[in-house]
Amino acid sequence: MTSELVDFTLVSVALLGIGIYGLAVKRNFIRMLFAVEIIINAANLNLVAFGRFLPHSGGQTLALFSIAIAAAEVAVGLSLIIVAYRMYQNVDIADFRSLKG
Amino acid sequence: MLEITSTPLVLIAILGTVGILLPIISIVRKERGSNSFYAVIAFAALIVSMGYVGYQFLNDNVIPSALFSEDVIVDDAFGGFFAIAMLIVALFTTIGSFNYMRKHNSPAVYYSLILLATIGMVLVAYSTDLVMLFVAWELMSIPTYVLVGFMKKNPSSNEAALKYFLFGALSSAIIVYGISISYGLTGSTNIGEVIQGYSTLDPSLLPIALLSVGMFIAGFGFKMGLVPFHQWLPDTYDGAPPPITALLAAATKKAGFAATIRIVILGMVVLHLDWTIALGIIAVMTMTIGNVAAIMQKNLSRMLAYSSIAHAGYILIGLAIAPHSSLGLQGSLYQILNHAVMKGAAFIAIAGIVTTLAVTHIDKLKGLGRRMPITALGLIISLFALAGIPPLSGFWSKLMLFGGALDAGSVLWWAPWLAIAGVLNSALSLAYYGWITRKMYFEGETEKRVKEPKSVIAVMIASIIFLVGFGVYPEPIIKFVELATPVISLSLMP
Repeated sequence: MTSELVDFTLVSVALLGIGIYGLAVKRNFIRMLFAVEIIINAANLNLVAFGRFLPHSGGQTLALFSIAIAAAEVAVGLSLIIVAYRMYQNVDIADFRSLKG
Repeated sequence: MLEITSTPLVLIAILGTVGILLPIISIVRKERGSNSFYAVIAFAALIVSMGYVGYQFLNDNVIPSALFSEDVIVDDAFGGFFAIAMLIVALFTTIGSFNYMRKHNSPAVYYSLILLATIGMVLVAYSTDLVMLFVAWELMSIPTYVLVGFMKKNPSSNEAALKYFLFGALSSAIIVYGISISYGLTGSTNIGEVIQGYSTLDPSLLPIALLSVGMFIAGFGFKMGLVPFHQWLPDTYDGAPPPITALLAAATKKAGFAATIRIVILGMVVLHLDWTIALGIIAVMTMTIGNVAAIMQKNLSRMLAYSSIAHAGYILIGLAIAPHSSLGLQGSLYQILNHAVMKGAAFIAIAGIVTTLAVTHIDKLKGLGRRMPITALGLIISLFALAGIPPLSGFWSKLMLFGGALDAGSVLWWAPWLAIAGVLNSALSLAYYGWITRKMYFEGETEKRVKEPKSVIAVMIASIIFLVGFGVYPEPIIKFVELATPVISLSLMP
């Protein structure tokens, strides 16, 4: 039973690593958004796995909240990128350089 | 159980109802333009909420700072203190938007989002459960992403929103990950139980607990603008609509500090860490980098953005020495309240300057003291208060902070150095505040007076009364801060 928990945690840590790698390397806004989503899902996996091995359901509750909130966040992020695409015809954050100093 | 008349629940009811009703009213009325109608409704809701918080304090219905509770939220003096600071800023933002929003579309949504973001900030300060804290944190963040990008046709507003969104989403992802680790280690999401679980943790699990506390620092640090996490901040503050910048700089930042005081400081105490020195180093770096970068800026809102980073460093001094000196933490809370008023007023002044003159470059502000006398006076008073000039309110909070740091010197050898760095940085900041003053009052000759927006004048007068009044007579605020400051020590553990 404990070894299963370790498996889940390892997958979650791997997802965290993938997310951080994506944020550090990619310059396409949608890819970066995906990287953030991967980190959030790594945390959700952790929560559900821990909740499975604990006698109450607090972890699953938080995971549900976090999934719903992440969806709202992505909706806002995608609408921002649509506005940006109309202005620049591009979603590469390296091209957004009107603010400097 | 919380009573139905407890402050956070009533605030949710008032602000939430009005916040949701505003867009519905605008759909039913089928008209777009009447900005002042919605502004007045939002203003009334905020005033009523503020009145309710004050009423609860005056009637002694508020328990002293508890930090823990079995519920998800607690109606304590600590939360009430932050609620007042954030409601002041939300009021400033609403009043300051009267004129700014006149030229823009969909005012109902704008004011509704301000109210919803305000609920989020207030609830962050009240929450004693990690689930509640996370939900409140997102309720605060998501409306502000939209508000920063509210000027759809303006590329810099959109760019500011994209940068803010990316870092904000990353910060909340890191916070959830931190919560998931602490939940796995302690089997609870209640902050009191988490702290207790940490204090009896198996030593072999200590590094993982450290990781979770580090993730909390990083996640909250993004919003607070601490130094390794501050890159988004100048761009966002510069590109966002100026009243919204006031909301970001003066209020959402403070929510980060509230959450940090509730979780990180206690977590570090029970983990027996000498991490205070790490926070001390971050504090010194934050204020130095903020002030040095501010000196080089040519744009007023960017300069104030960097000065806002520097002020996060000052506030962090008190948090770093919190386990050893309650005076330092009181200074932090006092500085938080002062900074809310000072930065709020300064950015509303910028909003007034942008709407009437459409400039933010410092060279173009020559003779502002003659062109817009009241706005200029309010801006100067808040800048001097930010620098900590004696008769103003900002002086007392810095005095308490640096005094607390010297006080803690008997336990921590490096604490007096924090005070020295803080004083040197204040002197440095005076250089660029003085430069703005010289531009506004002693340069340029031929300018005529222009009509100043009445709403901005109202905010300026309110902030001048607060900063000068409580600077000359600080006792009531100091009493309030003492009431609100939690006592951080091991004996208070649940």
